[in-house]
Amino acid sequence: MLKKLTVVVFLFSSCVAVLGADEDMSKWLRPSEVPQPKNNKLTPERIELGKLLYFDVRLSKDDTISCATCHHPQHGWTDEVPTSKAVGYDGRVGPRNSPVILNAAYQRHQFWDGRARSLEQQATGPMSADVEMNMPLEELIPKLNKIQGYVALFEKAYPGEGLTKETLAKAVASFERTVLSTESPFDKYARGDKNAISEDAKEGFALFKGKAHCIDCHDGWNFTDGSFQNIGLNDGELQGKELGRYNVKNRGAWYGVFKTPTLRDVTKSYPYFHDGSVKTLEEATVICASGGRYENGVRNKSDAMKDRKLTHEEVAKVVEFMKSLTGPDIDLKIPTKFPQ
Amino acid sequence: MKKTVLAMLFVSLSLFATNHIIDQKGKTFIPHEISVKPGDRITFLNSDPFAHNAYTDDEDNEFDIGMQSTGTEKSIIVKPGGDFSVECAIHPNMLLEVIMK
Repeated sequence: MLKKLTVVVFLFSSCVAVLGADEDMSKWLRPSEVPQPKNNKLTPERIELGKLLYFDVRLSKDDTISCATCHHPQHGWTDEVPTSKAVGYDGRVGPRNSPVILNAAYQRHQFWDGRARSLEQQATGPMSADVEMNMPLEELIPKLNKIQGYVALFEKAYPGEGLTKETLAKAVASFERTVLSTESPFDKYARGDKNAISEDAKEGFALFKGKAHCIDCHDGWNFTDGSFQNIGLNDGELQGKELGRYNVKNRGAWYGVFKTPTLRDVTKSYPYFHDGSVKTLEEATVICASGGRYENGVRNKSDAMKDRKLTHEEVAKVVEFMKSLTGPDIDLKIPTKFPQ
Repeated sequence: MKKTVLAMLFVSLSLFATNHIIDQKGKTFIPHEISVKPGDRITFLNSDPFAHNAYTDDEDNEFDIGMQSTGTEKSIIVKPGGDFSVECAIHPNMLLEVIMK
């Protein structure tokens, strides 16, 4: 009996030693429940309707752009170009990199500058933005109401509420709430499979939480704490051109800050940062762990941005760890036929 | 006249004021809910290794404490009004609910 107990204790100790003696690994796993507002609970009808709308180019002024154009599942829910798709309406280009939709359901603020406080608030913004879909809602709602197939689907999803800008936002938000990260090698590791990630990735995880201080901002299971940071990408006059959250309100702490993005599936969501100026995870890691692209001359730079003096080998291990956060693609059938 | 009476009332309330200590640790306000009365002081500590910035846009008690470095403390005096929420401008997942007695 004592021998059995000793073996059990030994095995338990070994697991704890591998995963971190005093760390509750459950904090790194996605919660099973998806946050939903009381007035827009998820239903199959709402999700399906939202999916059709998300991929339907008729939501843009010239019937060429859908939400998926800039936030496409085959491109990590973004678009692989530095700033919002160069094929934007009439060739216009937005000032910021397309933020990933993945796990947006869990974020309190949407957009890089956090100006929307819910997915419902966010959903219709790009539709009416002139550098994106350029379709004022005053024109879009009548346009959609002429498509009888949509009118019927809205009635099924939101009985008695009609096809309005509110139900349009609710439907798209419902679909977005289903865009969730899948089980990555790191998740398997966090659940106890010590062989799920490489030794370099394990050391990278330790660096991520320790010497590199990545966790100061990329904290929690979604690898973002939802914070707004100025990571020193621009100095001098350049920083005055992109004020970030300061545009929402002239609060001192918001000068030049942008939302900390998730690192889930980060290998799929390049290029990186709000301006899409960095192509590789290595370069992004070096910038973040060395105190920003510019050491001096940055107004309101985050004090989490310090030179952590990582070696090349340590940077490589942090990158190896971040690669382990990528899971299989979501099982999603992209619509090819739309309501008429 | 009315303003003078209110000011005197506020000063007298301050004589019985309580100082509520709120630590900012692990990106959390500790405690995350307090009951206060007008004239009370709320003192914010920062035990995290990075800055915080408590603020509220509440109509009656609007304040922005500014950037607060590690190991420092800053405080505000509660004015008459209703319940309000305090957020961190850097870490908006941090929430402090202030209940007016």
